[in-house]
Amino acid sequence: MIAVHDLAKQYHIGDHVVHALKGVTIGVAAAEFVTIVGPSGSGKSTFMHILGCLDRPTTGRYVLNGRDVSTLPPDELARVRNETIGFVFQGFNLLARTSALENVELPLLYTRQGVVKAADRRDRAMQALEAVGLTDRAEHHPNQLSGGQQQRVAIARALVTQPSLLLADEPTGNLDTATSHEVMEIFARLRSDRGITMVVITHERDIAAYGTRTVDFRDGLVVSDKSTVARTPACAG
Amino acid sequence: MQKFLRHPVVDTAIKALGRNRLQTVLTMLGIAVGVATVLAMMAVGAGAQRSIEQQVRAAGLNQITIRAGNWRPKITDSDEAVAHQGDARESLRHPLARFNDDVQPIAFHPEDDPMEKHDHPTARQRLGDLEAGLGSAATMTFDDAEALRQLPGVQYVAGGIHENVRVHLDQKRWFTRMHGTDVMMPSIKRAWAFAGGRFFTEREQDRAAQVVVLGQIVADKLFGAGPSAIGREVVLWNQPFEVIGVVTSATWVVQPAVGDDQFDAVYMPYTTTQRLLNLSKLNDITVTAASSGDISRLSREITKLLRVRHGIGDNQPDDFTLITQATKALTAGGLPPSVARAVASNVAELEKVTLEQLALTMERASRTMTWLLAAVAAVSLLVGGIGIMNITLLSVTERTREIGLRMAVGARGKDVMRQFLFEAVVISAAGGLVGIVVGVIASIGIARLLQWATVVSPLSVALAFGIATAVGVFFGWYPARRASQLDPIVALRRD
Repeated sequence: MIAVHDLAKQYHIGDHVVHALKGVTIGVAAAEFVTIVGPSGSGKSTFMHILGCLDRPTTGRYVLNGRDVSTLPPDELARVRNETIGFVFQGFNLLARTSALENVELPLLYTRQGVVKAADRRDRAMQALEAVGLTDRAEHHPNQLSGGQQQRVAIARALVTQPSLLLADEPTGNLDTATSHEVMEIFARLRSDRGITMVVITHERDIAAYGTRTVDFRDGLVVSDKSTVARTPACAG
Repeated sequence: MQKFLRHPVVDTAIKALGRNRLQTVLTMLGIAVGVATVLAMMAVGAGAQRSIEQQVRAAGLNQITIRAGNWRPKITDSDEAVAHQGDARESLRHPLARFNDDVQPIAFHPEDDPMEKHDHPTARQRLGDLEAGLGSAATMTFDDAEALRQLPGVQYVAGGIHENVRVHLDQKRWFTRMHGTDVMMPSIKRAWAFAGGRFFTEREQDRAAQVVVLGQIVADKLFGAGPSAIGREVVLWNQPFEVIGVVTSATWVVQPAVGDDQFDAVYMPYTTTQRLLNLSKLNDITVTAASSGDISRLSREITKLLRVRHGIGDNQPDDFTLITQATKALTAGGLPPSVARAVASNVAELEKVTLEQLALTMERASRTMTWLLAAVAAVSLLVGGIGIMNITLLSVTERTREIGLRMAVGARGKDVMRQFLFEAVVISAAGGLVGIVVGVIASIGIARLLQWATVVSPLSVALAFGIATAVGVFFGWYPARRASQLDPIVALRRD
């Protein structure tokens, strides 16, 4: 699914050159659930941005589904983000004053076939909301939803284009423990039910335990890469 | 419309604009003022243009009158024209008796100047099919008129027979001019308005119907302020005529006056005149040029054509006289008759000079106003445009995270650009619509308050709207471009 070879990324901040990634080589198989841990500034977010085609590496190669995406032009990257990758953010990033349903529909406005028809959009968004158990909140605006519900709307939005890769950058960072586990269980279920590849950044060890594999970043390098026995989703099956 | 409003780009734009409602409305107002001013400016400009054209037409500057017989334009006619109501017996004077130092025939014809003089022999004497010794002046025929109609650049052609008549209504009578003319006449006389009724129709002309259109003066003299003349019966040549219309002046420049030959006159189909007076020839033919500047060329063409039709040899003088407003204006302008005559016959492009002078005066008056409005329009559009840029930049800044998110879920730079550009255009187009309404009202206001003719054409409305939209695109471009070039990661991190 993902093959990253000797990935490096440098930023120029004034006269300083910041080496965010110093040569990361890693492979992720389809339907793996990778959790990435590491302290702030370890390069895990930069790595995630590159995986998500939001950023391009300075050197190194990133092959996604057999296609080298490290050198694609911006519009092509946008297409990959739209079709292949789903994003979940720590801060949810839902549009205010916009219903849950319309938030979920958002990626369907930017498909390569153009804007998906309104009725079609609605159907697909409803299906995605169903997958996160929020059909009854479709018309609610974000400010009428709890944190956990907002994150589930965001997950539905990531799912609506049926991506094969879901990336989440500290998805539970703004949630309490109980809600965090609910969200992680949704991820685990999506992986086991739909075979979606998961890459999740987290600070918390018990959240990382949901993964089938945990990668530890430090100073722009992978310092450990362990397969673990994934925690079985509580309500799986 | 419903579908359009629910299009995501439209929907997003409307929501976004609703978020900064006050700023949006204020910006819109700026554009509206600009567009309204543009519209008013064009309305004033077009109005001035139209009044120039109307004045040109009203003054008959695109008219050529071809009279039977060869005469130079008469030099002083104002006093004589008014005096004609005096003693009717005067009209029995011998035609030659009126020749004085001012009016000299180039080639002799026993034909007078029927449009302006009333003391001339009867039409029967002049136009009767009997050959009249010295070479008949009755040279113009209906076929000549038809031939002239075929000339390129000719707009209208009307043949005419002119006569002095007494119009009787019971015991009242009024001595006036009779014009037997063509249905085309109202089209030629731009400055005509119908105080009541209508002109005669083609059908009435074909039937030589006994219908008559009274000039305002005739109607006043016979009917006074009493009941309408329309439908009443008057008697000419002991024949009953139905009054079908009353014609008056459409412009304050020309006021109907006794003896003016236009509104102190009656009009009937020339066929009726021919039938009743047993005539087949015409006194004159009036031709209008489609373009006023075409008079010189058309005059030459007409002369050439008529000379051929009348079989006039190279060294013989014309048996007709071409009269244009230029030659009239010149002789009325106080030039010594001999000089005026020389100029009129030697300066071919004369009418263009007259035209330009008239147009120039009017243009000067309208130009000041147009420039003033143009300046106001430019400033308000500029301010409105900057407002649009400002509000769009504000919107981009406020929604940086949203832009980042949209990019993260697959929006391309151009999708983002389109979104913001559309928002800018929505403001300007909405401002444009308001501006059009205000502009139309303003144009009507200018016309009412300043007595200044204004014309709001569909084209100027479309242009004003186009300008508004263009302002939106122009000033929305930079912020939209900036939004489209945002780095999604940076945008997502922004608070």
